[in-house]
Amino acid sequence: MSGGIARGRLAEERKAWRKNHPHGFVAKPDTLADGTVNLMVWNCTIPGKPGTDWEGGYFPLTLHFSEDYPSKPPKCKFPQGFFHPNVYPSGTVCLSILNEDSGWRPAITVKQILVGIQDLLDQPNPADPAQTEGYHLFIQDATEYKKRVRQQAKLYPPLV
Amino acid sequence: MAEFTEELEPLFDYSRVQPVNFFNLDDDELDETPFPIAKRTKISKSEVDKVDDNVNPIQVLECEEKDDDDWLPPPPKFSCDPKILAENSTIKALRLKKQELASCAQSAEDVLRAVEESVKRELQSSMQSSLEAVADQPSKVNSERAKIVISIQDKDGPKQFRVYLDDKFERVFKLYADKAKLDLQNLVFCFDGEKVGPQATPLSLGMEDDDIIEVHSKP
Repeated sequence: MSGGIARGRLAEERKAWRKNHPHGFVAKPDTLADGTVNLMVWNCTIPGKPGTDWEGGYFPLTLHFSEDYPSKPPKCKFPQGFFHPNVYPSGTVCLSILNEDSGWRPAITVKQILVGIQDLLDQPNPADPAQTEGYHLFIQDATEYKKRVRQQAKLYPPLV
Repeated sequence: MAEFTEELEPLFDYSRVQPVNFFNLDDDELDETPFPIAKRTKISKSEVDKVDDNVNPIQVLECEEKDDDDWLPPPPKFSCDPKILAENSTIKALRLKKQELASCAQSAEDVLRAVEESVKRELQSSMQSSLEAVADQPSKVNSERAKIVISIQDKDGPKQFRVYLDDKFERVFKLYADKAKLDLQNLVFCFDGEKVGPQATPLSLGMEDDDIIEVHSKP
């Protein structure tokens, strides 16, 4: 039953997204090799915010929804080894609104998740580090940190 | 409140529940008329065949047993006698039944043939009409092409365009570039993160009303 709820909600989310979404963002359910759509996995793109070191980068993010969505949040993953203080080495994003035990509410939309992660990119939370490299550079070497962020943005140019 | 009382009533009022079921059954049968009829005729035919098989051996047996009756009737034959009498009446009944079933099968066959013919006629007429529709299309296209509204969105927000479903995006892109006073050469259009070519159409991309195409300026 909960799986039906998850899929129903995701179909609604997708419908709403098609009609209205912020510029530069992409969010679409995964399409399998045989052409069928898997609503439980979404392939997204988050653009780096203009005017920040992240500008120009279009960062790929995958949302993995469980059968318990929207009671539980989706797992949001950047590519493995993504450089950011609040991203685990596996790529999983650590953010309060994505934590079942703190900030997650079932009413949070896919759009809010993606915009929330875009905000996180330029405003890391040093109180909740998830990787050593990004965290140490952010705390100890602002210049090197900026350089690494700009390098990474160039690694993810616009898809088109 | 009115809804509540309506929901509660059927729990107790069975006369209201039953007709609903009957109607459902009727509806189901109506939906699939050609198939149940075909099945029934098959069944009745096979029943007729079975009756034929049953009747003949019984008659043969009967003759033999009568011959045997003239001689010393062995003990088991006594028990057969009343059966034979009964069989005579059952054979009559079976013959009547057979005739009935035969006529029934005949009429069922007639019905089947009628259905087949009507289906054939319908098919032919629909084929003709579809052929006619195909033939008519080129002349009707201009008045009947489906339109949808799409948004072309840049950093400053969306602009709406009404386009034909089978219209090449080429034309829409030009319209947009003129409206936004931008050089078409420097613009990239995407739908769902994928580049939209000038030869694509809303139909080929599976677009719906209010879908968004994004514009990015080449750096």
